[in-house]
Amino acid sequence: MNLRPFTVVLIVPTGVGASIGGFAGDALPVARAIAQISDTLITHPNVLNGAQLYWPIPNALYVEGYALDKFAQGCWGLQPVHQNRIGLILDRGIEPELQLRQLQAADAARATLGLNITDYVLTDRPLEVELRMSESGASWGTIANPDSLLRAAEKLITQAKVQAIAVVARFPEDEGSKALENYRHGTGVDPLAGAEAVISHLIVRTFKIPCAHAPALLPLPLDPHLSPRSAAEEIGYTFLPCVLAGLSKAPQFVTLGSAERDADRERKYTQLPITADRVDAVVIPATACGGSAILSLSGRSTVQIIAVGDNKTQMQANPEKLGIKALQVNSYLEAIGVLVALRAGITTASLGADISPLRCLSDSTKQI
Amino acid sequence: MTTHFISAEVDLPNTAEELDSAIKIELEKHGEPLRWAVTEVDVDRQKAVVEGYVLVKLPATASPVTA
Repeated sequence: MNLRPFTVVLIVPTGVGASIGGFAGDALPVARAIAQISDTLITHPNVLNGAQLYWPIPNALYVEGYALDKFAQGCWGLQPVHQNRIGLILDRGIEPELQLRQLQAADAARATLGLNITDYVLTDRPLEVELRMSESGASWGTIANPDSLLRAAEKLITQAKVQAIAVVARFPEDEGSKALENYRHGTGVDPLAGAEAVISHLIVRTFKIPCAHAPALLPLPLDPHLSPRSAAEEIGYTFLPCVLAGLSKAPQFVTLGSAERDADRERKYTQLPITADRVDAVVIPATACGGSAILSLSGRSTVQIIAVGDNKTQMQANPEKLGIKALQVNSYLEAIGVLVALRAGITTASLGADISPLRCLSDSTKQI
Repeated sequence: MTTHFISAEVDLPNTAEELDSAIKIELEKHGEPLRWAVTEVDVDRQKAVVEGYVLVKLPATASPVTA
């Protein structure tokens, strides 16, 4: 019996034009497959969110990107929960009818899924999201009133005692733009993703509780050439259901480091949190190895980094250029094979036709 | 508080862990790093190109900053 749980981190960075996972929940099949061969799968909203569509994976942990970076650095642990009480923040910039759509989506999640969504707050000022593209081709964006966002979150935490926060911000309509057309046709970069990450990062950084974001947008005219990869975002009025489902069981964050915190943790939880030293493997697009989480995990000798070539991105940060020791594979199917071998304790070198001879290390120490 | 986009170049150190630290030090010159990634590596010049966001607590212009 192997007592060490097999723990895999799956990352598809958001807003970098990933050909698999750069659209609307289109890395979910990869996550479902990897979860089948893992004891614990740690991944993030960009992988698991498919607007109205999602899939409950019992052994998957839904961890926002900022928290995933902190986890990889060894600063935060992940504490699984049975259910979080969720609060909802609505951007004051959302038109009343569109606000009502979001509230009805939350009500639907309460009635059909049994989620514990207790309160919502309208921000005291419009958040005013602005979208941009960087020189590298990644999407990014800013919000004009981050303090308003944080005041709303604080109100939910202090007054309603929520344990996770869903944010819906009004995003600029981009109808008719080439970027949106490309995205709907399954190419290019998600123009909203970079700004979404800023919103959730701000809340997670400040309050250290799970958070995820869904944009508020008006429905687009029907497009007969819509890509299957983007289609999940065009089957309803909101993108909120997947966020609520993910947050309802998202792990809480345990700040690691001090004895006082450790004692507090023991009082609150009977089960120890999952920490970075439990990670066995990370699966990442081969051109997107330049994020904080990968750089942190690459320093751990027990972590196997698996870089997937098929999942193209706008980034050009390959592991070899960064000095990261990684196993390069062509596809997720191949990555899954590597994970099966790792879990079984089989070195992948033994699975090929050619097995190189043992190396004889030269003795560099001087004999006395 | 404002969020700013930063683009910067960082010398490529010997290890990925050292690169992680070097990027944080570079971004901290402009604010508190919130999200960043190496987007490209110039092997000949031994430079990593980094894009990211920082949080700035003092009021400032909302235009992108290039470092």
